[in-house]
Amino acid sequence: MSEANLQTSTVIPQVEVQASKPLKRPPGPWRTAWSKFRRNPYAVTGLVVLLIFIIGGAAAPWLTKYDPAKIDMMFVNVKAGTDGHLLGTDELGRDIFARLLYSARISLTVGFSVAAGSVIIGAIIGSISGFFGGFIDTCFMRLVDVMNSIPLLFLNILVLAIFGTEFRYMIIVLILTSWMSVARLVRGMFLQLREMQYVEAARAIGVSNLGIIFKHLLRNASFPIIVNATLMVGSAILSESALSYLGLGIQAPKTSWGLMLSNAQEFMLVDPLQAVYPGVCILLVVLAVNFIGDGIQDSLNPRQKMSERRIDRWRKSFLKSKI
Amino acid sequence: MTEFIIRRTLQSVLVLFLITLVTFGLIHAAPGGPFQIMLAPGLSPEAMEIQAHNMGLDKPLPMQYLSWLGNLLQGDLGYTFKNHVPIGEIIWPTVKNTFILMSVAWLLTLVIAIPWGIYNSTKEYSLSDQTASFISYIGFAMPTFWFGIILQQIFSIKLDLLPLADMYSMDKEGQFGDLMLHLVLPVTVLTLGFLAAYVKYSRSSMMEVLNQDYIRTARAKGVQEGKVIYKHALRNALIPIITIIALDLPLLVAGAAITESVFNWPGMGRLFVQMAVAREYSVLMAITLLTAVIVIFGNLLADLLYAVVDPRVQLGKRGGRSA
Repeated sequence: MSEANLQTSTVIPQVEVQASKPLKRPPGPWRTAWSKFRRNPYAVTGLVVLLIFIIGGAAAPWLTKYDPAKIDMMFVNVKAGTDGHLLGTDELGRDIFARLLYSARISLTVGFSVAAGSVIIGAIIGSISGFFGGFIDTCFMRLVDVMNSIPLLFLNILVLAIFGTEFRYMIIVLILTSWMSVARLVRGMFLQLREMQYVEAARAIGVSNLGIIFKHLLRNASFPIIVNATLMVGSAILSESALSYLGLGIQAPKTSWGLMLSNAQEFMLVDPLQAVYPGVCILLVVLAVNFIGDGIQDSLNPRQKMSERRIDRWRKSFLKSKI
Repeated sequence: MTEFIIRRTLQSVLVLFLITLVTFGLIHAAPGGPFQIMLAPGLSPEAMEIQAHNMGLDKPLPMQYLSWLGNLLQGDLGYTFKNHVPIGEIIWPTVKNTFILMSVAWLLTLVIAIPWGIYNSTKEYSLSDQTASFISYIGFAMPTFWFGIILQQIFSIKLDLLPLADMYSMDKEGQFGDLMLHLVLPVTVLTLGFLAAYVKYSRSSMMEVLNQDYIRTARAKGVQEGKVIYKHALRNALIPIITIIALDLPLLVAGAAITESVFNWPGMGRLFVQMAVAREYSVLMAITLLTAVIVIFGNLLADLLYAVVDPRVQLGKRGGRSA
């Protein structure tokens, strides 16, 4: 017993000596988060997969010589690998690999712009609501209630049916139906943060309201917002593919994974593999984005593995884009 | 209690009023006016004016809104543009079909998910827990319609075991066994989506309870582990689950637009998509409102249930529940 004590007591000082070496510079919050993120295998895999899709989409013209919209009735339903068609062609002779690459562009554009747009709108509404409170807060929160009471998938379909199925309308309507979670999150954080002493100190030295909101409050709320935004990319991609599948999203000659799936369902008997590729692409991208979001969340707060908020968010995304 | 119900109902009525405004406004923002499609093409301008006058379309918008709202309050949903069929007659049968599909999927989910989640909470990181985690990740990243298409390919085209789509086979209208066969695939698709959220939900709410002091007290007093789990913990863990169940109740009617479209199920969701493609605005308006009413009612019910099952909750003092 005493021997064991002796052994541990001889080990500990050595460790302490090593740890107390002076560092060049204490790592900032971003560096700390990154070093934790790097050690999470799921998150890193997600990042790599997402990068592959981004590069594939961006470099599409150099990766394939075929035009995704070119109809070639001489080469209909060609088998994979013939004549340079890596994955074959569809019922109109369009190269499937080329269509997959160009669809990645559309999906990722929708995903990231919807996430960015809803973060901007949600952050503005949430910070006004949380910072000023009172009547304006009540108004905004009733607005959130109204938005949450309309089935959002129906609202998306309704707006696209009314205004037409243009690409920009789809992005706008997806933004207008996804900002609520960010607004709620920012408002909640602001309600906590605005009582902090550093806010009081900032006010005492004469920082304006705008300065407090941007320099102090939003910056402290930035990590949860980023997590929320990352996960939103995935649900926006799912919404886009669902709307395109229903015929209310992307229209030919443009191409999208959802649109490819709705074609594939019609020609299921001819070539069942056509239905597999686009679905696998959607699954991989959304999984990648979700893993990245979870990785960021865990690197910030490792104890809170599966927060209720996240499950709730998942549930909402299911209701919105998948049911 | 009574005061809370009255206040909450008034609030719901206000939200509902705002939703009617939003829907009406949206539809009248359509380019060319919503009723363009209603007027027969090739009419002379004078004839068009007469027809518009007969339908009350030449009145100012607020008057049109009021007369529409008045009819709505009397249960008159209006008529379709094409063929002039009463909208109620189109919607009600689909509500029944949706209810059949959704209630089967949802009950199946509850029966599987709640015991599974509770079991997982006591066996953290076991094989069963990991499987549930895996299902959740896949379930949330996979587009439901793709899963449906793949199931169709495997079970109806390759193996020829189950019907491809629709509610009944051609010559077996109304037979129970045939309905059950047609239910298998869409119910599988929906259940996987629901399961992903519900298993996580019941697990996390059980975990939270198991970490409470009174559970430690019960264990310290020497209560059997089975009794601790099923008598002390389970009752408290069920509270948030019941709330989420009440929140999801509206889905039983509001339907699954995407799944119904994949499997050609004659429900309300599919009707909505069809009507959106056909630009039958008044049907879209009616369905949106109907679902909004049900969702608001579900939210109200969730609030009340929460207070009934948990005596610690004081009605009206629980702010900011994420609905």
